[in-house]
Amino acid sequence: MRSIQVLRYLPEESPQPFLQSFQVPVTDSTSVLDALNYIKESLDPTLSFRWSCRMAICGSCGVMVNGIPKLGCKDFLRNYPNDLIIEPLAHLPVERDLVVNMDSFLRHLEAVKPYLIEGKNAADSSQPNRQTPAQMARYQQFANCINCGLCYAACPQFGLNPEFTGPAAIALAHRYNLDSRDSGKAQRMAPLNSKNGVWSCTFVGFCSEVCPKGVDPAAAVNQGKVESAKSMLIQLFSGRAIGGAGQ
Amino acid sequence: MQVHTFDVVVVGGGGAGLRAAIAAAETGGNAVGLVSKVYPMRSHTVAAEGGAAAVTRGDDSLQSHFDDTVAGGDWLAEQGVVDYFVRHAHAELVQMERWGCPWSRQASGDVQVRRFGGMKTERTWFAADKTGFHMLHTLYQTSLKYPQIQRFDEYFVLDLLVEDNQACGVIALEISSGELHLLRAKSVIMATGGAGRLFRFNTNGGIVTGDGMAIAYRRGVALRDMEFVQYHPTGLPGSGILITEASRGEGGVLTNKDGYRYLQDYGLGPETPLGEPQNKYMELGPRDKLSQAFWHEQQAGRTGKHGDSDVVYLDLRHLGEAYLQERLPFICELAKAYVNVDPAKSPIPIRPAVHYTMGGIETNADCETSIRGLFAAGECASVGLHGANRLGSNSLTELLVFGHLAGKKAMQRALGDSPCKDGAESIRQLGSQWQERLESMMRGGEPGRPRWPELKAELLKVMEEGCGIYRDEAGLTQALQSIRGLRERYERVQLGDQSQIYNTDLLHCLELGCSLDVAEATCLAALQRRESRGAHQRLDDSCQQRNDQQYLKHSQVFYQGAAPARLEWQDVDTHLSAPGERHYGSKGSGLKGSGAEGSDGGQHA
Amino acid sequence: MSYKPQLTGSWWLKHRFFKAYMLREATVIPLAFLLCSLLAGAFSLQDPERFQHWQAFMSNPLVILVHTLALTTSLYHAATFFVLFPRVMPIRVGNYQLPARYLVLAQWGAVWLVVALFIWLFAFGGQS
Repeated sequence: MRSIQVLRYLPEESPQPFLQSFQVPVTDSTSVLDALNYIKESLDPTLSFRWSCRMAICGSCGVMVNGIPKLGCKDFLRNYPNDLIIEPLAHLPVERDLVVNMDSFLRHLEAVKPYLIEGKNAADSSQPNRQTPAQMARYQQFANCINCGLCYAACPQFGLNPEFTGPAAIALAHRYNLDSRDSGKAQRMAPLNSKNGVWSCTFVGFCSEVCPKGVDPAAAVNQGKVESAKSMLIQLFSGRAIGGAGQ
Repeated sequence: MQVHTFDVVVVGGGGAGLRAAIAAAETGGNAVGLVSKVYPMRSHTVAAEGGAAAVTRGDDSLQSHFDDTVAGGDWLAEQGVVDYFVRHAHAELVQMERWGCPWSRQASGDVQVRRFGGMKTERTWFAADKTGFHMLHTLYQTSLKYPQIQRFDEYFVLDLLVEDNQACGVIALEISSGELHLLRAKSVIMATGGAGRLFRFNTNGGIVTGDGMAIAYRRGVALRDMEFVQYHPTGLPGSGILITEASRGEGGVLTNKDGYRYLQDYGLGPETPLGEPQNKYMELGPRDKLSQAFWHEQQAGRTGKHGDSDVVYLDLRHLGEAYLQERLPFICELAKAYVNVDPAKSPIPIRPAVHYTMGGIETNADCETSIRGLFAAGECASVGLHGANRLGSNSLTELLVFGHLAGKKAMQRALGDSPCKDGAESIRQLGSQWQERLESMMRGGEPGRPRWPELKAELLKVMEEGCGIYRDEAGLTQALQSIRGLRERYERVQLGDQSQIYNTDLLHCLELGCSLDVAEATCLAALQRRESRGAHQRLDDSCQQRNDQQYLKHSQVFYQGAAPARLEWQDVDTHLSAPGERHYGSKGSGLKGSGAEGSDGGQHA
Repeated sequence: MSYKPQLTGSWWLKHRFFKAYMLREATVIPLAFLLCSLLAGAFSLQDPERFQHWQAFMSNPLVILVHTLALTTSLYHAATFFVLFPRVMPIRVGNYQLPARYLVLAQWGAVWLVVALFIWLFAFGGQS
């Protein structure tokens, strides 16, 4: 048995969050999620948190573990011989206990048109496109995002400005921009060029550190800056207004 | 209670639900509601690993995919449905490609296919070993293009509104507030996934609790073929986390504790050379046979130990680090994180784990149930594709083919049918009935009322002991009795959390109620099917063989409220391929004709 | 009903990763001082008296300290930048992506070339 602390928030009882200690059994393979499930089933049924796949692919169980964003199912108690404090993901409004409000995250994802936009000359739609492994390799890494939101909890710029499009959404936009089958880059650049787009990033880089899937969103955002600079220059020379903020 | 009105409401935001919602939106109308108890990208489709099957290569044929599927399902599949499926599979995968799904490619840029258990030819499309993940995200992202689709994320559907045997909507609990909502619609599609969480060792996410099955079942729709529960032969010990069948398709081999490739002793041999996997031989046999072989090895004491689990070993070392990173990166990540094994250096300990529910909500070939306007698609449905054992990589394709069909048919029905009656009275009744039910669960402080964790622990134990890979009369009778006892105790269940906002105690409790009803149907059908077929294996003397005389039939279980459920038998459509024997390994080769080369096999995930 | 903790001014003290980031950003301060010093030197070139003042200023131990600091922190900044560069501008030759470590090495190579050039110019007066 060992002690862990969880930041509780029960809005129907008190407006103040508070820390609560629990004694949980541990083995070498006990994950943070296992510990939370033990608490819920055996100690305190009122503890609320999200989880499902417990294999680091559904993206539900992001929490702060000792101040660092982690997937609860892929972080193990054995990594924390001393204190262990579990808190809700940072920078997002907390609804209850470890449950954060994901609305703004989803809004940012949706704003970048994260789907394939085919050009007018797209081939016969009853046949698959061709795409070589090399063409795939350009975007594949950015297609591995599981939308867990850890990068938003790691990003101080998002913490200061919730309107910042943020790492995961920009990585997703970049994934489609790099896809050889896509023709929608011009449409996606408007939100990326805006003041809450790529230029809000100061390359802290912590988003890529905490990403459980090796997506490297910081690279996507900063590659996005290069693209944004290019697209703004092109707009400048073609005589159109720069920006497109808020479109 | 807030009331919203749609043409079609889809329950479930996984692969089938999203595909159905998109199909409904493309068919017409202007309002599709998509309700899910989790954000769509959390749905369990995300965990499917291996791939999706469709006839692709020049040397393959629709007949061959049909034969593999029917024989793999031990002739309990609806053959007209299988025929429809194999003919529409390829177009659906192409559609996914056009929506951006990153299918793995050949050097030429054409889509790559891999071998899969029980498949005669390579026909499984894949996106590395995260096929379900990529499909789900592609579908979710594509669904954002359709303004007609209005999502209700984190709403838990409690019940259907049915009037004069016609579906008229659903009642749902908004998890963030505890408020009830009524979503009216002229047709409703259930796409709520399976029920793997009835069992302790399973490859499924915590949300896979059979909710949608129970909801339709309680309204009178039959649950069909529920006794057929697929064990995946390769789950990680302890957690049950899935190690994809594709790892065997790529050449991985299974050994017992002595390093011996034991599958050759179970009608799957002769041993194929290392690095030369052969379709339908050895490790590429069907899932039911492989899981059963594990059981025999375990009985004979030839399994190893990992923690307190009996295990055999999946050896991938000969594939080499680079190839593993290209084809099976997720497997490497999972093995490292959860059993601390690097597959390039050591064999992975594995054991069978419950993976897939072949049975489900009975539908006709158009995905419509016995309630007019109520459709079902995906794992929650029994459209009749899988029979007694699902063929590997058929279920991801199933989501698309039948999700599409259900969405289209549901919208056509909604646009064509006259609207439901005003229904104000029945809506009020349904609302107050659920309000009361929830309040009685919340009411605390009465001694002796059970809580859900203890009931759930018992359910898992009962199902594991009585309804596992091998079953018998006594065990099943006992299990059925225990489940009925649990259902009775559940009537008095009480929550430990009385709050409204994100009350996950309430959610898990509601899920358990669904699981218990589905478990009764599963045990009843398993008890009554006194034969061995596909994934349903009986140890009793007279039940060890397939018995077509009596049991070439679907089981249908009907809900009877608090009283014991009732079972009926239904004929199987075998008009295209007469029942034959399933053969794998050397016995399977050389045999011709429909079914003789059956296999079954793995699936996605 | 939800609450949202606000980021305080000390957010960057909470993790060494953020401290390293702030250090990287702060390297601009000694660098700005160095640049001002050099600009002042350029202006003082026209007047011998001012140039003497500037030389005295430049040989003040404190100033030398700050300039040494500017050199070290610039090297630190360069080190962080060089690691980031291959991620921001991945270089592909046909189907082959240049591994990041080659790009990092190439950048350091360029730094040493410049250093060598200056040593040659100043220590040997441009003669071999």
